[in-house]
Amino acid sequence: MEHFIQAENFNKIAPFKTLFLQGTAVTVLLALCTVAIGFVLALLLSTMRLSKCYPFAFLGTDREGRLRDGGILRAVSRFNPLSFIATAYVEILRSTPVLVQVFIIYYGVFGALVTLPKFTFFGFIKFERYFPGVVALGMNSGAYLCEIIRSGIQSIDGGQTEAARSLGMTQLQNFRFIILPQAIKNILPAIANEFVVIIKESAITYTIGVQDIMSAVNAVRGATFIIIEPLLVATAIYFCLCFPTSKLIAYFERRMSRGDKR
Amino acid sequence: MATNDKLIEVRDLKKYYNKGAIKALDGVTADIYRGDVVVVIGPSGSGKSTFLRSLNLLEEPTGGSIVFGGVDITKKKVRNAEGRMVKLDIDKHRQKMGMVFQHFNLFPHKTILENMTLAPMQVKHMPREEAEKKALALLKRVGLDDRAGAYPIQLSGGQKQRIAIVRALMMEPEVMLFDEPTSALDPEMVGEVLDVMKELAREGMTMVVVTHEMGFAREVGNRVLFMADGKLLEENTPEELFTHPKNPRLQDFLSKVL
Repeated sequence: MEHFIQAENFNKIAPFKTLFLQGTAVTVLLALCTVAIGFVLALLLSTMRLSKCYPFAFLGTDREGRLRDGGILRAVSRFNPLSFIATAYVEILRSTPVLVQVFIIYYGVFGALVTLPKFTFFGFIKFERYFPGVVALGMNSGAYLCEIIRSGIQSIDGGQTEAARSLGMTQLQNFRFIILPQAIKNILPAIANEFVVIIKESAITYTIGVQDIMSAVNAVRGATFIIIEPLLVATAIYFCLCFPTSKLIAYFERRMSRGDKR
Repeated sequence: MATNDKLIEVRDLKKYYNKGAIKALDGVTADIYRGDVVVVIGPSGSGKSTFLRSLNLLEEPTGGSIVFGGVDITKKKVRNAEGRMVKLDIDKHRQKMGMVFQHFNLFPHKTILENMTLAPMQVKHMPREEAEKKALALLKRVGLDDRAGAYPIQLSGGQKQRIAIVRALMMEPEVMLFDEPTSALDPEMVGEVLDVMKELAREGMTMVVVTHEMGFAREVGNRVLFMADGKLLEENTPEELFTHPKNPRLQDFLSKVL
């Protein structure tokens, strides 16, 4: 314990350079796939959450076709099953640890229910471990991205919708021409931020054997009994991935707000 | 300019919140004729904005009826020409009712020209060229044709409201609804907006105006409605209403604002 960090240890772990490089590639690929899956999922979920699907709406109007004033039928008529399902999904995924979700997907879904083909792609990525990791992280970030998109859409002033509707535009036209263009501008930075979060969060997939950067750290420790130095290397790699990304985001954020001419 | 041609017939209109605990509108009955300039006045919280917004169903009434162009638009379903019950197409009716808001509600991501041409092009499928020509002509009328390419954020409040008015006019509405159009403006900009509204009234546009501008009500309105507590308490010509108010609430209100 005389030295916390020993320079010669870096020399000792140098032969494991390719492991770290491969780990970095896995992490980046993992993050990209996760954002892609998460984004598609989030679009679907936020559409469901904001949908106006009221299958029991007919219960809310009386024979004259006029809205009832309260009562149980009025309450039932306001039930939106699509929104309910999406909200339940988002709340469950946001209120449980990612680690648990990754394990359930890996050991539960792809361990017991679905058998994945075992093969290796790019020469070093094991599909049967990589795929469940992507699915689990994608499902998780889908829930968070859904909330980003939903709040982005809902943050647009209600007056905008009123103006559009009073001009005779349909709900869909209002969404397409008025709400969405303004919402996208608001949520792009948050989505890019989520990407940075995912890069860091993807480290958790090492627990199911995805050979990312953390897995490289573990392999080096197993082979050389050195732990601090490989961890420092991993820290440096993560930092080099995340810091420039967030700086890039900040740059685009500034550029977009310049368009406001405020 | 008022005629006997009834355009909007409001009967016993009610808007309740919390199962009737709050009565924003408590049985309002009024008629609006073609060419009318109806000014709605009253203390804040009296339901005048709710009344106006109900006319094109931005607020969904709890009871009563609004017959616009022969159709009761408060009902979800109407009987069509063949006698079948069909869903009411509220968008069709809203096209014929222009609305101007207190806070302008221009689309900030679109230029002035785009703000004006969007709805005619998308809703009425007007060709772009025609829509832009029409928009520029209207802009010229309000003296803002040089700002066609500007964004709303670059305009003053009075300019924004004038744009909002001509944006609504682009749809060639049968009636214009004004929801406190000058309340969010700096005092020196009120005049330019009122001038546009006066000109519209002179051209015979049917208008329903919720406002605190008593001068405007007196000068331009041909009928004034006084509302308080969700009820229509007095209705008369401006001269009568302002000089010989009958309802004590109105007398009290006028003593405060005049």
